[in-house]
Amino acid sequence: MQLRDTISPLLAALALLAPWTATPVLAQSEAGTQPEPVELFLGHEPDEYQVTTFGPEQIDSPARAWKAARVLPVSGPPIEDGVVLTRDSKIVAVGRAAEIAIPAGFEVVDLGDAWCVPGLVDLHCHIASASSDINDTVFQANPEMRTLDLVTMDHPNLRLALAGGVTTVMYIPGSGGNVGGFGTLTKTWGRNPNEALLRFPGCVKIAQGNNPTRRAGDLGATHIGMNANLRFALERGRDYHLAWEAWEQGKGPKPERNHGLEYMRGLFRYEYPVCSHSQYFQVSGVTLSMLRDEFDLWLVIVHGTFDAFRHVDGAVARGVPICNGPRQYWVDPEDGRFWGIAEAWRSGGDVGWFDPQQGLGDDAIGINTDSPVVAQEELSLQAAMAVRLGLPERVALRGITINPARFVRIAHRVGSIEVGKDADLAFFSGDPLDPRSHVAATVVNGHLAYRRDHRHPRF
Amino acid sequence: MNSPKIPGSLAFRAVLVALAVGCAADAALAQRPRFRRPDGAGGRPQPQQAEPEAPAEEKKVESWTAIRGGDVYLGDGTLLRRATVLIGDDKIHAVGHEVEIPEDATILEAEGKVVAPGFCIVKASGFGAPRSGEDVRDGMNPFDPTIKMGLAAGITSFLWQNGSGNDKPGGNSSLVKLAYGDLEGMVGPSDSVKTMRVPLNPQQMKTFRDLVKQAREHQDAVREAAKDDKKPAPKPPRGTEDILKILDGETRLWISMGGGSRMFRGGGDGGGDDTTEIRQAMEIASLLGRGVVLDDPVCAWVIADEVAATGSMAIVNPRNRVPSREGFEDSTGSNIAQAAILHDVGVPVAVTAPGGRFGGSGVGTGGILGQDLNTPHVDAAFAVRGGMPNRQALRTLTLDAARIMGVEARVGSLEVGKDADVLILDGDPLHYKTFVDTALVNGKVAYVRAEEPYYRHIRR
Repeated sequence: MQLRDTISPLLAALALLAPWTATPVLAQSEAGTQPEPVELFLGHEPDEYQVTTFGPEQIDSPARAWKAARVLPVSGPPIEDGVVLTRDSKIVAVGRAAEIAIPAGFEVVDLGDAWCVPGLVDLHCHIASASSDINDTVFQANPEMRTLDLVTMDHPNLRLALAGGVTTVMYIPGSGGNVGGFGTLTKTWGRNPNEALLRFPGCVKIAQGNNPTRRAGDLGATHIGMNANLRFALERGRDYHLAWEAWEQGKGPKPERNHGLEYMRGLFRYEYPVCSHSQYFQVSGVTLSMLRDEFDLWLVIVHGTFDAFRHVDGAVARGVPICNGPRQYWVDPEDGRFWGIAEAWRSGGDVGWFDPQQGLGDDAIGINTDSPVVAQEELSLQAAMAVRLGLPERVALRGITINPARFVRIAHRVGSIEVGKDADLAFFSGDPLDPRSHVAATVVNGHLAYRRDHRHPRF
Repeated sequence: MNSPKIPGSLAFRAVLVALAVGCAADAALAQRPRFRRPDGAGGRPQPQQAEPEAPAEEKKVESWTAIRGGDVYLGDGTLLRRATVLIGDDKIHAVGHEVEIPEDATILEAEGKVVAPGFCIVKASGFGAPRSGEDVRDGMNPFDPTIKMGLAAGITSFLWQNGSGNDKPGGNSSLVKLAYGDLEGMVGPSDSVKTMRVPLNPQQMKTFRDLVKQAREHQDAVREAAKDDKKPAPKPPRGTEDILKILDGETRLWISMGGGSRMFRGGGDGGGDDTTEIRQAMEIASLLGRGVVLDDPVCAWVIADEVAATGSMAIVNPRNRVPSREGFEDSTGSNIAQAAILHDVGVPVAVTAPGGRFGGSGVGTGGILGQDLNTPHVDAAFAVRGGMPNRQALRTLTLDAARIMGVEARVGSLEVGKDADVLILDGDPLHYKTFVDTALVNGKVAYVRAEEPYYRHIRR
């Protein structure tokens, strides 16, 4: 039974007693509503990374000048007739073609009428290998597992991702167990997985309720069992981390190395976040209280679909950012309304309670596909569908570029077109959110990773 | 009773028809014959297309509705800016720039809006129609809430199918219209489509050839018998009934490619080539002397000319994903350009939503937006992504979808005499943000966005 089922009759009774509380609050997304920005909690960057592995900061790439009719840097206003200069996997200049002198040795690639946007970022992806390979639920919590070893650069679904302009993904284990294992932040193109790697672990994947519910009746068949199990896994991890920390500070004996818990240490050191698949009202509540309040972890809610948004006040209070998708709508059984989930997270308002809730604002909303549930190349369509249901376009574009990059602290590398960042670019034939626009070319780390073949385009 | 000046005089209507047809981008449509038989002697069979039936006698119109001032997409690729659609009872009465509106007409102002034919969906279920049954009427619920949700998505009719043929044509079908609350108004022509699948093995192919031969002999016998009044008409041989309907042009034949070479959600590798199956379907088309409908081909883009040569049509999901065989990228695998390539060679195409458990054939409430039937216009938008011109892509949901369902005489475009299934939209029909403001089915307003809960709260 869901918490809301229990509360609703009480609320109905209250409404009868106090008619003023029953005045309906106006719908979400009133024109002009601009929620206050929320300060996000993104951990405290440690002085030293003990567990994390980073991919190369820079690799070789030819010197190129990419010209497009319009450049949307996301970090700043659109640039008409723009050019982006890239060399050795980095952006070295961006601006109006008329104002930027193209240095000698730069090959000009003119994409004509195309719109140039930053390579798209998706924090919920299962396709860097066969997606049947990522749900080994030996135990209900499996912190010893990781996706790093599975990344396959020539996987056909990754090639399709490039045809949709997607250049960075958080490749995570499935949601079969409460702790699925550790995800990998990788580019979608590279001559080998090491070159494509951004960070490992990119996150730990936690899944709450529903998907990890075991049907056999053993531990984890119910929410009460799953919560106990998740708490136990996190407590073991924290104890292990504290034991090492005590030894490092000379306050305890050297702990015995536990390879199954090694990556849990980085979690408590804020080297990487929890990406928690929390899609329903009740489980998103537990996610917020257990992971943020009890364990004080760096938390990103991903796959925050269905009516999880009714906890928007909890997310605001704790500074927790949200990636939502792939559903984008939730139909309210009480009034038949098609809620735009992303817009509900952004602007709050009447989300089923008496008082309007504060929304998360423009900078805390991301969009994800859960590929292959929705194909990776359709990330921009997910954003478009969020716009259809009320999310402003500018936020939707941020939601598939700079916002998710920021949530997992890779915004210094990807997510916008700025000097010094990685040369990851997607060239759309028009408005990148319109499904009628196609990707003409995709650039990853300064390399032309995809060029559309007009006879047989991938997407 | 004060009789309004009826603009539907025959001469006036003829002018309007000429105007509408003359504007058609596709010149071939201008001289389309009614149920034209393919010309065996050199001429190439054309995809079938029937005209709306002219009423036996001029019926007096009881109620007029005029949709005034909108940009009107006729559904055949033509756009008339700031035009009027005049509806007499349940039919389109006139469309044009100088349509005279009767005094007692109900006016729906569409200035600044876009008017389009209701979307015709080739693959769908739900909307009050039963899951199965001999006659769709028996299990229809005209008050099913998904009817309103379908109208909100622009859907005004779909093909209900019960069962399917295997190695020869079979199954029954009916056009279902989303006429909320009106049981009779919901049921359209039945059995306009029969289905079968390929591949057929050599034995099945032989049986099929024999049936076609028997059916043709029966047709000859019927013609012979017609010469002699006293002779009773012969009975069709067993098993040829559906083939006879196809030969007579009453029924369209959909041929499924069997789905044997699919890769869904990243698992498996079927080689990505179904040209053998498509060619067998073309062989069946040649045997029948009529175009067939390719149901969800993967590689029709590879042999588009062969498909066009038989006068066939195709049902396509532009986002279908089947990987190419390594080294054969030019001739294997799915192709988002398939709809455009087929359209370019004259093959009419209807689009479907992606299949699968998160959407596919229904509006539902638990699907994924962009994958289910809540946004059919997005599937047509993906045909544009593959290279189809924008206005032509609207045909994949309107006139060409209706032709594929064999019901183009009734629905699919805003032609005079067709059912008045009309959408008033708040923008370009294929833009992802566009919503249906008002939907009319059989001339009656069946959905008003501002009055239904689904999307009225969304403001921009």
